[in-house]
Amino acid sequence: MSEPVLELRSISKNFGSNQALRDVDLVVPHGSLIVLLGPAGAGKTTTLRIIAGLEAPSSGEVFIERMDFTKHQPNQRDIAMIFDNLALYPNKSGYENIASPLRISRTPKDEINRRVMEMAELMKISHILERTPATFSGGERQRVALGRAMIREPRFYLLDEPLSSLDFMLRIDLRTELKRLQQESGRTFLFATPDYTEALALADTVCVLIEGQVRQIAKAQELYDEPIDRDVARFVGNPPINIVPARLTRDNGTANLAIGSMNLVLPAEMEHGLPSSVSDVEIGVRPEHVRMVGADSAESHLTGTVNDLEPLGMHTTVGVNLGGVNLFFTVPGVQEFSDGDSVEMHLDMESILFFDPATGRRLS
Amino acid sequence: MPDAKFTPFNMLALLAGLIFAIFPIFWMVSTSFKLRSEWVTSPPTWVSSAPTVDNYLTILAPQILLDRRGGTQQHGDEGFGGGKDDAAGGAIADFLNRSAWPGIKGSVIISISATILSIVVGLMAAISISRYRFGGNFTPFFILAGRMFPPIAIAIPFVIMFGPGIFDITDTYFGLIVAYAAVTVPFSTWMLKSFVDELPQEIEEAAMMDGYSRWRAHATVTVPLIKGGIIATTLFIFILNWSEFLFALVLTYTNVQTIPVTLNKYFSATEGTLYGVQAALAMVSIIPLIIVGFFIQKHLVRGLTLGAIKR
Repeated sequence: MSEPVLELRSISKNFGSNQALRDVDLVVPHGSLIVLLGPAGAGKTTTLRIIAGLEAPSSGEVFIERMDFTKHQPNQRDIAMIFDNLALYPNKSGYENIASPLRISRTPKDEINRRVMEMAELMKISHILERTPATFSGGERQRVALGRAMIREPRFYLLDEPLSSLDFMLRIDLRTELKRLQQESGRTFLFATPDYTEALALADTVCVLIEGQVRQIAKAQELYDEPIDRDVARFVGNPPINIVPARLTRDNGTANLAIGSMNLVLPAEMEHGLPSSVSDVEIGVRPEHVRMVGADSAESHLTGTVNDLEPLGMHTTVGVNLGGVNLFFTVPGVQEFSDGDSVEMHLDMESILFFDPATGRRLS
Repeated sequence: MPDAKFTPFNMLALLAGLIFAIFPIFWMVSTSFKLRSEWVTSPPTWVSSAPTVDNYLTILAPQILLDRRGGTQQHGDEGFGGGKDDAAGGAIADFLNRSAWPGIKGSVIISISATILSIVVGLMAAISISRYRFGGNFTPFFILAGRMFPPIAIAIPFVIMFGPGIFDITDTYFGLIVAYAAVTVPFSTWMLKSFVDELPQEIEEAAMMDGYSRWRAHATVTVPLIKGGIIATTLFIFILNWSEFLFALVLTYTNVQTIPVTLNKYFSATEGTLYGVQAALAMVSIIPLIIVGFFIQKHLVRGLTLGAIKR
């Protein structure tokens, strides 16, 4: 990896008795797009504000390009930030909003004009430069905010849920555009979002922040396949992962997994991955790892009863009671079921994730 | 279709309220033009039979009246300059030597200076409380503490502090300006704080990210965006200062006067209260407020942050 443009060293932040961040460590390499993913209230905004210098950490250091910037004012850090509410200057035109960072740095007038026009072209907002933000649509506001941040070349960019209040289609459009912009310009983005699909679509690397702690920093796919703990597994994926208690028993080299009233043989290679002392576990089963099979299938299968149904067009989410345990799984297209229907299910044993029920950490 | 809001009953209630609010002002206007014999009559004189500007001349240009008294009694009018008042002339003459100009001058200097001081201090306090949580939860309320006592209770320590033993600034413009600012800062702080609170913090933070220092971000972003609030607060504080009586009375002797104190001086044991003169001075004193109020009302609008943020 290239050299880090930003490094957080065990940042903690307390608001009164409430600990918002606990020992957050994060390294952002130059030219990367890192997504800070976490539910509402996880500390994403606080983290960005500490990096920006708008908030002081209670302890820990912020290193920017290998220099300690913990105590520097925001304007000394040379970072651009897009706020979750965009925070345009309401009394200034679109042009002046975009030009503002250049005016502050006393850029010559004709250069300002040239760069604003270029940026407006790039953002497709040339037609609203003369108007004030009150007349902008949501997408235009978003683009102006983006333009104001992109017009200068700061060390890196902080984006705090910038797409959160846009409607679905526009969000996807702008998301794609943002990614393209980042890749073409080679600039460094740190992007906060509570939306895991957005994170997975955008990121090189995702940093999962839950309850003020960095739980996992990983590639997007790795996060999905190998979550570090139960919370991360639950947070990533829709419909969410099935998490059910189970009991592991070992007998003469074969391991059995008891889930509800079901008793399944665990493949040997799975068993090897688990600590030998474990017996009570929680297992995580992604909805796509439960499949419906024919009653005469050669694959191992279990009989369950349908108890919930949610047709979503592209696929259907089905709730099935399997040996006293409720599992959700997805089937393609719209399936006709009714409550109480009996279905044959195959559980993809190789894909099961094991968690310690006490700590929530993944075991396998 | 008639507007549902204007039913006859509503109109009547509105009219009653309007009369109630307007009547004192009407009476003041009317009295300021009345002859001396019409000030207090039974039944009341609604509008003077022979309007006179003598009341105004008494406060603004007493020399004219004195000259008239000195000259022949050609006009025979009933004002101070007229012959009929000669019987009481001695007492009146005292007033004729004292125009209201020192009071007007004092009010203008003190009210304007104290208002500026109060707004500047209040604005800085409001921003530091609202944005930087200055003083935690306690300080903002403590600032109000001074307003929790009756003014006279506060006035006594002021008299002592301003006396020769300590600061020795009784009967100076400076003293009264400081006293007024001290008394109005709680109001300006709290009013301005509410406007700052309403402004999304991110707008000025965006300016800091764009490269402004804190001071410049507040000066170039916060202040213009709460301009309406600052103007409204300024007007409010100015009115408080302009009409203040108690402190002006106890903290001055003869050097410094303000209009409310001057107003109180148009009174004598032999003549009683000079209602017409007081009304005239009151008229003079509200003129600047009306003019200022008229010109700034378009600034007293809210909703300036429209479009700045997503909701």
